[in-house]
Amino acid sequence: MPKITVDGKQIECRDGVPVLQAVLEAGWDVPHYCYHPGLSVVASCRLCLMEMKMPHPQTKEMDWAPKLFPSCQTPVKDGMEVRFASEGVASSQSHVMEYYLVNHPLDCPVCDKAGECYLQDYSEKFGHASSRMVEDKHKNPKKDIGSKTLLYSDRCVVCSRCVRFGDEVAGAGELRVINRGHRAEIDVFPGVPLENELQGNVVDLCPVGALLSKDFLFQQRVWNLRSTPSVDPTTSAGATIWIDHNDDRIFRVRPRFNEKVNEWWISDETRFGWKYVADSKRLNQPLQRDNGAMKPLRWEAAPELLRRLLDEAASADQGVGVACVLSPMLSCEEAWLLSTFVRSRAPQATLVTGYVPVSGPDKTFPKGFKISAEKAPNRRGVESIIKAMGGPNATFEQFVKSAGDGKFKLAYVTGGYPQVWLTADQARAIGKVQTLITHDLFESALDEYATIRLPGASWAEREGSFMNADGLIQPFERALKPLDGVKSDGQFFHELVGRPGLYRGAKTREAMAEKIPAFGDIFVPRPEPEHAH
Amino acid sequence: MAYEQILMRNCREGGDPSIKQYKAAGGYQALDKALAMKPDELVEFVKGANLRGRGGAGFPAGVKWSFLPPNRTVTYLCVNADESEPPTFCNRVLMEHDPHMLLEGIIIAGYATRTTVAYIYMRGEFTEQFHVLQKAIDEAYADGLLGKNIRGSGYDMECYIHRGAGAYVCGEETGLIESLEGKRGWPRIKPPFPAVEGLFHKPTVVNNVETLACVPHILTRGLDWWNGLGTQNSKGTKMYCVSGPVNRPGCYEAPLGITTRELIYGKDFGGGMRDNMKVKTVAPGGISMGFLRGDMFPKPDGGKVDVTRDCDELDCLLDFDDPRHYGLLGLGTAAAVVVAEDTDIRDVLFNVTRFFSHESCGQCTQCREGTGWMHRVAARIRDGAGRQYDLDLLAEITKNMGMMPGLSICGLPDGAAFPIRTLVQKFRPEFEKRIGEQQADAAKRRILQTNPAAYDLPILQGRAVQPAGGTYMTPEKLKRN
Repeated sequence: MPKITVDGKQIECRDGVPVLQAVLEAGWDVPHYCYHPGLSVVASCRLCLMEMKMPHPQTKEMDWAPKLFPSCQTPVKDGMEVRFASEGVASSQSHVMEYYLVNHPLDCPVCDKAGECYLQDYSEKFGHASSRMVEDKHKNPKKDIGSKTLLYSDRCVVCSRCVRFGDEVAGAGELRVINRGHRAEIDVFPGVPLENELQGNVVDLCPVGALLSKDFLFQQRVWNLRSTPSVDPTTSAGATIWIDHNDDRIFRVRPRFNEKVNEWWISDETRFGWKYVADSKRLNQPLQRDNGAMKPLRWEAAPELLRRLLDEAASADQGVGVACVLSPMLSCEEAWLLSTFVRSRAPQATLVTGYVPVSGPDKTFPKGFKISAEKAPNRRGVESIIKAMGGPNATFEQFVKSAGDGKFKLAYVTGGYPQVWLTADQARAIGKVQTLITHDLFESALDEYATIRLPGASWAEREGSFMNADGLIQPFERALKPLDGVKSDGQFFHELVGRPGLYRGAKTREAMAEKIPAFGDIFVPRPEPEHAH
Repeated sequence: MAYEQILMRNCREGGDPSIKQYKAAGGYQALDKALAMKPDELVEFVKGANLRGRGGAGFPAGVKWSFLPPNRTVTYLCVNADESEPPTFCNRVLMEHDPHMLLEGIIIAGYATRTTVAYIYMRGEFTEQFHVLQKAIDEAYADGLLGKNIRGSGYDMECYIHRGAGAYVCGEETGLIESLEGKRGWPRIKPPFPAVEGLFHKPTVVNNVETLACVPHILTRGLDWWNGLGTQNSKGTKMYCVSGPVNRPGCYEAPLGITTRELIYGKDFGGGMRDNMKVKTVAPGGISMGFLRGDMFPKPDGGKVDVTRDCDELDCLLDFDDPRHYGLLGLGTAAAVVVAEDTDIRDVLFNVTRFFSHESCGQCTQCREGTGWMHRVAARIRDGAGRQYDLDLLAEITKNMGMMPGLSICGLPDGAAFPIRTLVQKFRPEFEKRIGEQQADAAKRRILQTNPAAYDLPILQGRAVQPAGGTYMTPEKLKRN
């Protein structure tokens, strides 16, 4: 661990990182635009310049060198002495900030980035209140560069992060800088729009309001948004994300740094995969079959009813005829609570891993970012719980077959998929179960056979943890209140088990870890210093 | 007095650029001499000649070659023929009239650096020169001077011409390398220097055309001859260009260290000013090096250099050191642009800023935005709507860009800053006089015309504090640099 001295204070830093990264991690606020830890270094924004002690050419004494060095390009070396708190550095920073606004349109009132814009932040902290630029501004055009992204190149600071991202991480290289000097702008090649599967990241990467998401455009001022740490519910990779929401509505999803999984990026599938949460077709009323017709059921009456049905089904044979399908969309805690409940009434009940949607092969990008083919977040978590619970278990295919053979008297089927997940044949087979309890987000082919149909909550309305395909258990928090008429799954299972009070993910995890120690070991990514993005 | 023409011996109208002519003039004898030596001996030999790079920075070529890592398998030699400095055309003249001199230099330098492939990066606008040089390369291949086993020495080297697409910044060595790799010509951050990791991530030497053309002559005529020419730290012969309202604009050869006055008035050189005009200003090293005051100013007292006084500065020696005493960046390409007394200094400023604003590559912020800003300020001053404050502003912007204070990746912003700074410093009285002659509120009207909202700009109303001036590059720091 090299030790360096910054502004007279000694700090310890990780090996091989640039000085800029080290001082940001140690809590300094050093302005920068082009540097991003996930991309190559170009040292072109000239904002992170620092002074460094060097041996004097004649006397060989260590002294402040009479020039500035880009801290993003200088690797840390033990014993190095640098400073940012000096008149020279401040003067250079203030000039560069003035240059950035020479051709900038200053249209913050209509800019989506306002409020989280590093041109605003740095101008306030390192720049000036007024400009000396009284000439005609050069105005680069606004462009539509892809189905999801807009480019307002008049706001661009030409940090070239998006270009490097396209080349190095996405491997698509669609974006390029064209023209020279202050006319330089980002553009795509004619007829080749920005359409790679990671394109949403360029919007996060942009330190200013040049690259904008069409989906988020003019939707919300960012200072009204609240961010909740969460985990990607669309694939088994377990990318960590922020859910930005306001008034119980999601407005956007951003990546949350995770050194073991997704680093700084997420795929567009994750980024735009939350739309179903606000779908008007979502179920919002528990129903019970009464003489062939579905009648509303009060949530308060549901636990008692389920207990009675389960006891009846399991009274004769310890519950051999009972099955519980644990969807990979459930969190570990929910799956554990539900299986505990079912096994407490029917010890020989079959636990089934729910349907796992898979589409195509895994996709790996040049720097190792992966889009996983498995489109459910918690297959591995559910499987480990079933394994730890012991007793009879089955795959989803086996369950459908046995159900079709009339083996089951009662089945509790959880869904929660954003897409259609059952074929009519599968539904018909499952429909042979005499008492069928479904718990799902949307109407499905099972509805006509269901005895009880419970509305589920989406992942953003629940809390718990997902175990990703590599076995990392990552907790996520609740961002939204459940839809009117919906109870969060965890709370409902909590009541089924008969635990007192409110369901909390962390509390449940503790109780679960007592039974299954592996679940005590959760992974929380290391906090990342504030980078300009 | 007339100097011996060495580099330019074949440069005349109707001269024959063929290999036959070159061999008849004693060409390719240096190559035999070189091939008899060991490569490292050759590097030491050129080091001994203190052959300083003719491309502008004046870095010794032999020292550059010795930076190559010792155990390398592939080495590239890039010949910088992207001659884009505004009034410079010496490389063009050389390649047009004596391409084999350059080729011999390339082969010798290639042998010394154990180069496997040499690329000649040629300015895109050179069309005729390209055909001449390509023909010379074909002749050299046919004669066994390039390709496998050159002259039976067992040394192999290939040589190709790559034509640029017209960017000034591609004359910067790493910009050239990027462009040669097929990318946008954005200079690279250093370190690593090209000698360690250059073209295609392999050790690379980048040399100017004229530098390489000097190498055969040093070998044939010897170090004593070479070191007998020039001044203390600037040895050898050099091609000078002179353009502007002189009687004989053109390219001339002389040992390093002639005066600017000689270049303009010497009968073998510029031959004096047209219509006996006086010189207002001259940029003796290509415009990016900065401007000298001409002889319309009085002679200095006692011949002492004092750039703060309005004195005739034409006694500046054209070698690698003396221009610095006059506030210039260096010798540059030794291509003098002469501006006569009847030219408005505002037009000179406008033209200079326009060039750098157009050619800034757009990578570093100070240069990208600064050059464009200065151009627009200069345009406003030229249009008769300047302010006294603009002169301070220009001086301040030029002090806050450039590689010397570590504010940019390449040297282009230094080259943009020096001419503008020297113009504003040395011709401030004239600028002030011109601004004084304007209509009283011309500047304000012009500003409101471009931006009606500027009416409320606190800065125009005198309500806000101007952003603090100043610069990182204080005089003491400049001195240490």
